Amino acid sequence: MRQPDGSSALLTTKLATMLAWARKNSLWPLPFGTACCAIEFMSTVSSHYDLARFGAEVVRFSPRQSDMMIVAGTITDKMAPVVKRIYDQMAEPKYVVSMGACACTGGFYRAYHVVQGVDEFIPVDVYVPGCPPTPEALIEGVLKLQELIQRGETQYDRLNA
Amino acid sequence: MTVSTPSTLPNPLAKFLPGHEELVIITAADGFTEITADRSRVIEVLRALRDRPEFDCNLLLDICGVDYPEHEQRFEVVYHLTSLDKGHRVRVRVPVNEDDPRVPTAYGLWKAADWFEREAWDLMGIRFDGHPNLRRLLTHEAFQGHALRKDYDPEKRWVLTEDETFVPDWVNEPDDDEAQFETQVINIGPSHPATHGTLRIVARLDGEVITRAECEIGYLHRCFEKMSETHGWSEVIPYTDRLNYCSSMINGVGYALGVEQMLGIEAPPRAQVVRVILSEFSRIMDHAVCLGATLVDVGALTNFWYFFQPREEIYTLLESCAGGRLTVSYARIGGLAADVPDDFEEQVRYLLGRIPKFIDDVDKLVTTNRIFRGRTEGVGALSAEEALAWGWTGPCLRASGVPYDLRRARPYLGYENYEFDVPIASTGDCYARYLVRLEEMRQSLRIIEQAIGNLPDGPVITDNHHAALPPKPKVYSEMEALIWHFKLIYEGIKVPTGASYTATEGANGELGYYLVSDGTGKPYRVKVRPPCFAIFQAYPHMLEGHLMSDAVAILSSLNIIAGELDR
Amino acid sequence: MKSVATINVDRPRMGFGEWIYLGPILKGLAVTLRHFLRNLLGQRDVATIQYPEEVRQYSERMRGRHILTTKDDGSLRCVACYMCETACPADCITIVAEEDPEATVEWEKLPVKFEIDLLRCVFCGFCVDACPKQALIMSRKHEMVFTTRDEAIVGIDELKQKGPIEDEDLGYRPYY
Repeated sequence: MRQPDGSSALLTTKLATMLAWARKNSLWPLPFGTACCAIEFMSTVSSHYDLARFGAEVVRFSPRQSDMMIVAGTITDKMAPVVKRIYDQMAEPKYVVSMGACACTGGFYRAYHVVQGVDEFIPVDVYVPGCPPTPEALIEGVLKLQELIQRGETQYDRLNA
Repeated sequence: MTVSTPSTLPNPLAKFLPGHEELVIITAADGFTEITADRSRVIEVLRALRDRPEFDCNLLLDICGVDYPEHEQRFEVVYHLTSLDKGHRVRVRVPVNEDDPRVPTAYGLWKAADWFEREAWDLMGIRFDGHPNLRRLLTHEAFQGHALRKDYDPEKRWVLTEDETFVPDWVNEPDDDEAQFETQVINIGPSHPATHGTLRIVARLDGEVITRAECEIGYLHRCFEKMSETHGWSEVIPYTDRLNYCSSMINGVGYALGVEQMLGIEAPPRAQVVRVILSEFSRIMDHAVCLGATLVDVGALTNFWYFFQPREEIYTLLESCAGGRLTVSYARIGGLAADVPDDFEEQVRYLLGRIPKFIDDVDKLVTTNRIFRGRTEGVGALSAEEALAWGWTGPCLRASGVPYDLRRARPYLGYENYEFDVPIASTGDCYARYLVRLEEMRQSLRIIEQAIGNLPDGPVITDNHHAALPPKPKVYSEMEALIWHFKLIYEGIKVPTGASYTATEGANGELGYYLVSDGTGKPYRVKVRPPCFAIFQAYPHMLEGHLMSDAVAILSSLNIIAGELDR
Repeated sequence: MKSVATINVDRPRMGFGEWIYLGPILKGLAVTLRHFLRNLLGQRDVATIQYPEEVRQYSERMRGRHILTTKDDGSLRCVACYMCETACPADCITIVAEEDPEATVEWEKLPVKFEIDLLRCVFCGFCVDACPKQALIMSRKHEMVFTTRDEAIVGIDELKQKGPIEDEDLGYRPYY
């Protein structure tokens, strides 16, 4: 999208902004819920907090039909190949939100079967701390991801720069 | 829990066991009849315990292994049994040598032994001769070593690559009936909207009918038992919250009761009543999630939202008491972390008025609904004898007709003072489980109503500073309290040497904790007897002959919570 | 088994009224329509909280981000006794101590480094329970988001109390 002299053409910049706007407002989540954070995710999509207000209406468990993978819960070494496979099956552009202490760093499970953070094998855009994070924290995480998409600073943009 | 029998007294039931003169039979401190037997005699003893009318132990609760590296016989296999009719609790301990760690399997006596023995093999390395399928259960295929042994480093991990994933042997076998259509083997899970959490079912399908199935679990094995060996007694409480995360208060209370029993202390009356109230609210929350998810799986999405609203309101109550919504960490050894807030009674009464409306809404929508009845009636039926053989407890067992509820059979926390009914059904199918859980929610509301009317005054934590931290104003001002505080944090609670099994009625059934202490500030062994572990091992056998959609309905009616299943 | 007061929840076989399915359709529609009309027309009981414009008020005991309290002169109350580091189940607190140049019997040491890894923390509150000086308390700040793991390791500057204690959004603390 850049001209030879380094600036961006007006039309292509506007297109990039528009695409980013469209993508950020229709983030279809793939809730990769394994443990307690999955219950808080369920609370977030329930009527009290309603993640659907931000465009994340269609919660699909199929990687082909979603943009944003929310890793909610502890990932064990047994589950790791499954996460990697599902991540690979997602269509680009794809984003990852790591929800909760266990998905971000392994939490307080410094143990023989727990992956110490899902960023060991997939790129993560947003880390949401908490155990489990409150629904407001998760919504903040999604809002932050929207901001990153608008600015073009997600892991997907960095890998495809 | 009242414990009055002193330990090591000869047990009056001993004379009914054949060859009892050569066995060591005592009454342990937690009320169990404890038999120590050699492995050559163990099957004979277990058979006598099951068949002799004086014992009549028809429910196998738990089998686990414990590692004692300094003992002459390194391992010990511990069986826990109970008799529903006679009320006995029996523990059988079998010491096993390190060089030849083999014990004959109990699978022929109770089918419940299936997965418990597989777990003991996986985590401890004890072989069970004669077991039909002795493979790793919780850890993955590429895992080497036995994780709960004392010489295993808690942080040593093994990487699993995708090609090493477990595939059952029968997948590649040709199907018997070559003349018919080809069958197909598929994976249901571990990432699947209908498996609640991370479960994998490998199923051979003939069209839509499942002809053979096998389950793989362990996708959420977070090493709770190893973590509790590396942390102090009170630091285990946040870990217990994450076991059955839909009703986290009940797990913490069960663990605290177990440690209090070993210490010989009791929580003050106010703490006991608050524990009852919050446990019953947690039970309502758990049943709400279970029924909500069941209804989503059969297609009724609205009820999920209807059930999550009372959950949010209960979260408000829990958060105002404990500080956390889902993982409360509110129970402490000796009572509760802090006293309830001033508007506790007001909040509870408000909830008592609100929750019945939501239950009634769902009842009106679903219970007499022809579609729901068609999906769930007659599906996944299990008779009472089968259920007991598989080690089932809780609402699933009560739906098959057996009125076994620990709150009535072995009351704790003052449950004998509350009036409530135990719902049972006779068919044992998914519809019956739904009805039983719905009625249990109403009965829990009854208990809460009685409890909140009789909330006594007083402290919420014991003043025995061997177990509980002294109150903060004293720590800031008095020297003695400061010293107790330092000792408890640095050295941990010094629980006397011994072992005990304490069980409470969790939302899914009997949640038991087998705690072994060696006198230091850290637990020596914590074995959790998860209710859904015993329930889920029957699932592959229940599936044969059912349709794919029935498999989903049955799974959600069993309420399998992966945090509890895999620990 | 000793006799237990039970209630049998078995339902009779499906009668004609249930089989025809008209009744449940109307009852079901009535329930859902009632909720729908209430939300649409009355706006009284709408369950949704319009976050981030509307914020749910959590209780005083909420376990959120930590605060290192200060004495009146602005220095930390923390004496680097390592109680919180020992009590933490997640081992997320790292303290390096040094001697306080103005040491008194009550305030002997100072932390030169006090870091909490917020992505490891499980917000259990054991550190607050363990502190003998009320130096570490928790606020109600729970909406934290990071884009890298290093951003989440907060030190004394981020944790220190900023201004008078009454202005902070206080949460879980030793007594109220």
